[in-house]
Amino acid sequence: MQRLSDEILIAYLDGELDEHETLEIVKVLARDDRLQAHAERLNASARLIRAAYDDVLRETVPERLIAAARGERGLNALQRALAWLARWRMVLGERPWWIGVPVAAALAGLMIGGGLGYVAGTEQSASLTAQQDLVTAGAGTNWLDSIAGYHKLFVKAGANDRALMDVPADANADAARKVGQLPSDFRLPNLKPWSLEFQGARLLMIDGQPATQLFYTTDNKSLGALTFVEAESSKADLAPTFDRREDLNILYWRHHGHAYALVGAADIGYLWNIYNDIAWQLDAI
Amino acid sequence: MSTSFNDQLVAVLPRLRRFARGLTGSAVEADDLVQAACERALARVHQFQPGTRFDSWMFRIVQTVWIDQLRARETRRTESEDEAFGAGTDEPARRVEARMALREVQAAIALLPAEQRVALLLVTVEGLSYREAAEVAAVPVGTIMSRLARARMALLAKLGGDALRGSTEDAKAE
Repeated sequence: MQRLSDEILIAYLDGELDEHETLEIVKVLARDDRLQAHAERLNASARLIRAAYDDVLRETVPERLIAAARGERGLNALQRALAWLARWRMVLGERPWWIGVPVAAALAGLMIGGGLGYVAGTEQSASLTAQQDLVTAGAGTNWLDSIAGYHKLFVKAGANDRALMDVPADANADAARKVGQLPSDFRLPNLKPWSLEFQGARLLMIDGQPATQLFYTTDNKSLGALTFVEAESSKADLAPTFDRREDLNILYWRHHGHAYALVGAADIGYLWNIYNDIAWQLDAI
Repeated sequence: MSTSFNDQLVAVLPRLRRFARGLTGSAVEADDLVQAACERALARVHQFQPGTRFDSWMFRIVQTVWIDQLRARETRRTESEDEAFGAGTDEPARRVEARMALREVQAAIALLPAEQRVALLLVTVEGLSYREAAEVAAVPVGTIMSRLARARMALLAKLGGDALRGSTEDAKAE
């Protein structure tokens, strides 16, 4: 390969080259320390560029924009804002989190079955089993407790512990569907615009129904790792509702026979915005 | 107006605000831009092709409205947003420095030529592929590639080593 242009190097770093070109550049980088350092500086600058606008995603979207998006104007928008605030004040009041647990469980009708999940034909490491025991011991039977526990397990294990994943991120989704590892209607939300990288999926049995827990990580510490749960549900639709487990925020909702939940340490503004994106992607609004 | 169209628009608002913030360099102007883009989108809802990416369509509208505004007037800077950052607060010095580093990045991006800024924001910040960014900007993929490379190299030169060392971590640790 001729001397590498910045255009090609940046395209490589952005994942825009085909397999052959990528292999060629990997070879060039392997024997050129200065070029490697240059590539690392480009990667660092990309992280900095993304970080420069992170705060925007955490801000509450101004009501005037929501009104504009909904085609509303004037008093209607104000009324809507007041109703919205009143609703969230009710949801996020000063009550202890555990008061909401039975209600949430009853509404959701979702109970993690038996051994906190079923792993299809995978072998788990001893350390992982020990960690699961810890999660099980502390989780109780509530599904929100359980998915929060799994989130902590995932964060603790780290993205490189592939034993945690029934379907790793690099698996072919179509093939995984064919062998029954993933539900036939499985769709993976693309959260890359939020700097969240999909790391893999874990399959659970929730109330006798298959559920999929998707794990995402990011280098954005103000967002942190995130899990997203999709499960089948026969319960009525439920508007997005917030809850907390220790230092974790949970946003859960139901729509058209499916129950969903987002779990992470990110603040509720982030979760709300990501919910909107996922709901749209999955047509789960 | 279909509910799903409005819902899609609400869903993409945070990202439109981020994109607009990068284009204008101002929170107030960015929200004005997004509002104008929403109104234009609702007026042209019939032009949206079902099955195509809604976010790309909206990015294109935001970009078009922004270019129209640039042509119509000089970009106005809201002085209050550029007041001394962190001055008079109890923020730890390290955190203020980290925030200033990110402000430095924003300022450097604001100095890029408009077309480079668009390419950078669409690909590096919004995560669009080169092909998708090319469709939004209505230019060939090769043009996006070269604009992006020029933007990235210009920023690398402007930011230098200090801004790249650990400032991301510091800023996010707050």
